[in-house]
Amino acid sequence: MAFISTGYNPAKPMENRITDIGPKDYHDFYPPVIANNKGKWSHHEILEPGVLVHVGDSGDEVYTVRVGGCRLMSTSHINEICDIADKHCDGYVRFTTRNNIEFMVDSKDKVEPLKNDLASRKFAGGSNKFPIGGTGAGVTNIVHTQGWIHCHTPATDASGTVKATMDTLFDDFQQMRLPAQLRVSMACCLNMCGAVHCSDIAILGYHRKPPMLDHEYLDKVCEIPLAVAACPTAAIKPSKQTLANGTEVKSVEVKNERCMYCGNCYTMCPSMPLADTEGDGIVLMAGGKVSNRISDPKFSKVVVAFLPNEMPRWPSMTDAIKKIVNAYSNGANKYERLGDWAERIGWEKFFSACELDFTHHLIDDFRQQAYMSWRQTTNFKF
Amino acid sequence: MATLEFNGKTFEIDEDGFLLDYNMYNEEWVEYVKGQEGIDEMTDEHWQLVKVLQDYYEKNGIAPMVRVLSKLTKFKLKHIYELFPSGPGKGACKMAGLPKPTGCV
Repeated sequence: MAFISTGYNPAKPMENRITDIGPKDYHDFYPPVIANNKGKWSHHEILEPGVLVHVGDSGDEVYTVRVGGCRLMSTSHINEICDIADKHCDGYVRFTTRNNIEFMVDSKDKVEPLKNDLASRKFAGGSNKFPIGGTGAGVTNIVHTQGWIHCHTPATDASGTVKATMDTLFDDFQQMRLPAQLRVSMACCLNMCGAVHCSDIAILGYHRKPPMLDHEYLDKVCEIPLAVAACPTAAIKPSKQTLANGTEVKSVEVKNERCMYCGNCYTMCPSMPLADTEGDGIVLMAGGKVSNRISDPKFSKVVVAFLPNEMPRWPSMTDAIKKIVNAYSNGANKYERLGDWAERIGWEKFFSACELDFTHHLIDDFRQQAYMSWRQTTNFKF
Repeated sequence: MATLEFNGKTFEIDEDGFLLDYNMYNEEWVEYVKGQEGIDEMTDEHWQLVKVLQDYYEKNGIAPMVRVLSKLTKFKLKHIYELFPSGPGKGACKMAGLPKPTGCV
């Protein structure tokens, strides 16, 4: 398409420039029933998976229907969400912190038509456009990252792994049969954008090979001290290298036996790429949470050291996740999060209950704190 | 990676318009970036900023942190933005011929 100007004048970029206006005020987008009852809610109830009702002190009720979202959406999909909101909710809609979509109506008789409309919408391939669920003690949406769609440091894909996992756990999105809510998160490298470090089950992209060094360009495109300082294990040191044509250039040297393939140096220096088809894969972590309910917030712990990238459905990964979810739902007490359960029964029992292999990779060896994760007691189960 | 011809000089640049090699820098490069970055006239203050960045890079191998840049030039961040509307990274570092900023930017 030919160029169509918005009115911006590239010759005078600072003219008529509007800045620092921030986001729109959220008050502008409240449904009337929310605006009227703000701060005056009495109680709420989960009527069925995906449907909530909040009752105000005034007796006003607001019914919320939560539906899954794929997070990465086209504008036509957003338009369809807007159409539904126009049709049933006077044009109001919201997104949750786990990227689900919530449609709100102010009376009970509007809920059924809305639910029927949402449930009837499917993509041509057959998948639900707006599956209802994600409430209570079930599995809700997966917080995830960019993966091969957009990022340059991933070790796995985000949207693909998430779709495969959600397909496996879909029943638990639409019911509330688990001991407590189960949060699954995904990050495609150990930058851990999102919530993998504090989720019940976490999928994490992982490299297994040290970076390759492009000595010819390294000093030109990188600030060498930053690459050196980016390394958590000090595997990188500055060095002089002689190129094939005989010129001596500044570069770096990587001590491969100190490198644990975090990829931080590539983040800082484009001449140190490390992505690798066979080397890269997935680490599974488990047992994290952010809430203060009963126990303090916890970090998730590594429970599967490596699973290969198996595009497009990641079967070994979804199998392992399924095993963890089943063992947890069979073993845990009511209200127990996955981490609470694993700590109560002991991690050695967690591994046998989930039928996961314990390998030496799972033993912490990073700096002084690693010592605190070893067992300094005779209390354990055979 | 592309090759740019400007006022009879050739520069190798990347897709964001950063110079591929600091050693290729010359005053023609400033003329080119000036047009890209919406700067009408190079004032003494512009030059001062560019020189400080280049001295620091030559001495330390990295671009200075913003606070260091402010301290060395005595320009507040607001003033740096007045001089270089794209900011110290995309504007000033590009003009000084420094490598492209990296990390989660």
